[in-house]
Amino acid sequence: MSQPLILIIEDEAPLRRFLIPTLSGHHYQVLSAATAHEGLAMARTHNPDLILLDLGLPDLDGMTVLKELRTWSRKPIVILSARVQERDKVQALDQGADDYLAKPFGAAELLARLRVALRHTLQTDMAEPVISGGGLRIDLERRAITVNGQAVKLTALEYRLLEALVRRQGKVATHGQLLAEVWGPGGAGNTHYLRIYMAMLRKKLETDPTRPKHFITEPNVGYRFNLEAPGEG
Amino acid sequence: MDAPHRPVLVALGSEARALRLIQAGYRLARERSAPWIAVHVETGGHPTEDSEQVQVWLQEAQRLGAEIRVIQAPTLAHGLAELTRRTHAQVLLLGRSRDRWPWARVGHSTANELLRRGLDTFIEVVDERLDHSRTQAFHGSGFGAMVGTLCVLAASSGLAWLVPHEGNLALVLPVYLAAVTFIAHRWGQGLAVLASVLSTLFFSFLLETPRFSRGAAPWPNLLFFLAMLLAAQAVMGLLHRLRQQAREVQRREVHTASLYLLGRALARCHGIDQVGVIAAEHIRRVFKVEACLLFPAQGDWKAAPPPPLDPGLPPPPELLPQLEVGERLGDPLEPLAIGRTYCLSLSGTDRSEGVLQILPRDGAGLPSETWELLKAFAVQIALALERLRWLEEARKAQVENETERMRSTLLGAIGHDLRTPLAAIHGAAGTLLLPSEVSESTRRDLLSMIQDESERLAHLLGDLLDLTRLESGAIHVQKEWQPLEEVVGSALGRLEKRQGPLPLQVDLPETLPLVPLDAALIEQLLVNLLTNAQRHAPGQAMDLRAWEEPGQVVVEVADRGPGIPEGYEERIFDKFFRLPEAGEGGVGLGLAICRAIVQAHGGAIRAENRSGGGSSFRVALPLDGVPPLPPESAEGAS
Repeated sequence: MSQPLILIIEDEAPLRRFLIPTLSGHHYQVLSAATAHEGLAMARTHNPDLILLDLGLPDLDGMTVLKELRTWSRKPIVILSARVQERDKVQALDQGADDYLAKPFGAAELLARLRVALRHTLQTDMAEPVISGGGLRIDLERRAITVNGQAVKLTALEYRLLEALVRRQGKVATHGQLLAEVWGPGGAGNTHYLRIYMAMLRKKLETDPTRPKHFITEPNVGYRFNLEAPGEG
Repeated sequence: MDAPHRPVLVALGSEARALRLIQAGYRLARERSAPWIAVHVETGGHPTEDSEQVQVWLQEAQRLGAEIRVIQAPTLAHGLAELTRRTHAQVLLLGRSRDRWPWARVGHSTANELLRRGLDTFIEVVDERLDHSRTQAFHGSGFGAMVGTLCVLAASSGLAWLVPHEGNLALVLPVYLAAVTFIAHRWGQGLAVLASVLSTLFFSFLLETPRFSRGAAPWPNLLFFLAMLLAAQAVMGLLHRLRQQAREVQRREVHTASLYLLGRALARCHGIDQVGVIAAEHIRRVFKVEACLLFPAQGDWKAAPPPPLDPGLPPPPELLPQLEVGERLGDPLEPLAIGRTYCLSLSGTDRSEGVLQILPRDGAGLPSETWELLKAFAVQIALALERLRWLEEARKAQVENETERMRSTLLGAIGHDLRTPLAAIHGAAGTLLLPSEVSESTRRDLLSMIQDESERLAHLLGDLLDLTRLESGAIHVQKEWQPLEEVVGSALGRLEKRQGPLPLQVDLPETLPLVPLDAALIEQLLVNLLTNAQRHAPGQAMDLRAWEEPGQVVVEVADRGPGIPEGYEERIFDKFFRLPEAGEGGVGLGLAICRAIVQAHGGAIRAENRSGGGSSFRVALPLDGVPPLPPESAEGAS
């Protein structure tokens, strides 16, 4: 599969007009649908490698489309959300969307997100046991972490949280997902635990916790772990 | 202690004239620029009806700036002496002694006792006549009165017996007259009549005795008896009139005081519900009846709190049309009886504002003079309601004006701020599409301009949308307890991603508690404040600090720019307001959004000039609600 197939489900024509040439110009095959029903049909027939799904479709609620897709497909789905859909965004992520892009977004941001989302499908579970970048080196197998060459000790919970974030490297992890993964089903609702532990992780692993490079906060959504400094790439 | 700092002490009881005492205390304290204390001494352990009144006076004193004390002491003098000494009061103001017995008033009055206790304080007794109700208390013709009457008669008979000039009845008569007058004054008419009969008997007995029988003409007993009766009657009539006058004065005083208190309490009301509560409270206290306000509402009656009166008998709906067209309800001079309740129309200047419904406690009617006062109350309440209605109308008109003004400002802003980037984008795209030669560098210039301008447009639209949603309450603030550091981090991340590292010094103490906030909104707030600081002090160092204060956490964003021109500290938060000298960029929405966000959090934002130059924006976020428990440290188990 040299050229991944991307399905765009988006009702706004100008956005489709921008997305199609941008993606084709970057070695993606592109399909587009203007309605939810059309999109669902195309997803079934073409089985794309990634779906860009707009949450505000005219004929069907984006959330319904997402649920429907998730009943049979495990391919990455990236949500396109407008400003007024804050809550839907989190819900979509919790329902199995892989990431989101808030409108308006630039081409660079779009391509970066697509790359991350596609990488996760290609190398499904934990591929590299050792990852490093931006002065941070994490050896998941030996549970050894160094910051700028200095070994750092983490508590068991901090480590589990780090692991959960690293597994989604580059993608957003919602509060709910992290809570469920680290604290178990009983952890739901204790978002402040998560925030306190995130603060501890930052204190230990970031050079300047008020200007985090690795543990990026997505307000009211969750966190995103980046190895390299977040940039346009 | 310095004399000006020694307080003025005012001793308050429950009597109606305490208002004068309070006013005297207030004036004296103001004259001497000294603090003043209103004190009530509780001597008995049992609360009486008076205690409610005392509370009213104490509140009144407090309103006038007095410190309030209620102390327990065996006697009034005891308590006052103690407090005077403790507070080093310079003056002690008292009403005239309330002691019950005349002999107590002569020798043991509170003032005298205080003096005996060797206070070095100046004691001033504000003249106050004895409460009438108290003098009446020992008017009853009990056993004591009977004994007293007999004693007085016996004494006067004894005196008459001692008359030196034999047989001079002219001297005997005044003695008995004096006795009967005294009895009439002291114990009332019944005993006075009895005394006249008895004195006539005594007198006849005296006449029979040898001392008088000789030489004196046999005065007709009947004449004597009549004289006694007439004297008693005359004294009684006189006394009765005096008492009535006194009672009337007293009653007027109470009425004036209660009307004054009601009027003032109503003047402070901000809503109809408040008027309802205050009116019911005052009416209950003064008249001992239950009351509530009723307003016509869509073909029925709506009661202001407190809940409608128990028998639940609203006035019949057929009275509604009258009320709605503003006609006075029924006969304006007569209360309307409905079931066990009475209704008084609350007539304002031009229409009726509603109905005051009264439920007498024992189901009986009210005396006519009570109705008079109640009507005066109703007028006060009607005026208060009318004032509120006018205020509301004025407010509505103001809101409409404001909306109109906003609409034109918005149109102006949209006209300018949206069109400019659009024109630039349109023009640039047109140039790019022209089949003419455009150098590569120009092409890139035009393209990046299109990008910049569209970004600006998106930003502006986003701001407009945010502000509209914040102001209309469409945004639900999702407050969650979280470390401030995290929001600061995401705000800085967003800004620095856009424009590279900021010259910003961040100072967040480790001890800062979790703060309940909506992360997305507060991030927006910080981004706006920092962008604003950057715009007015480009390239200069900025500070972001936070600290805890009782009940809140304060975040400060400060710069070293030109600061805020005087008088603009509030206006810069207005929509579309730009400082006249502000340069490029910004449409005057950033700070308006900041204020809307802070208000949605129940906090406050303030801008001021910094000492040493520059401006500072302080945001106070309340620490409301119950902070969550910290995570258990026993994580080894996991």
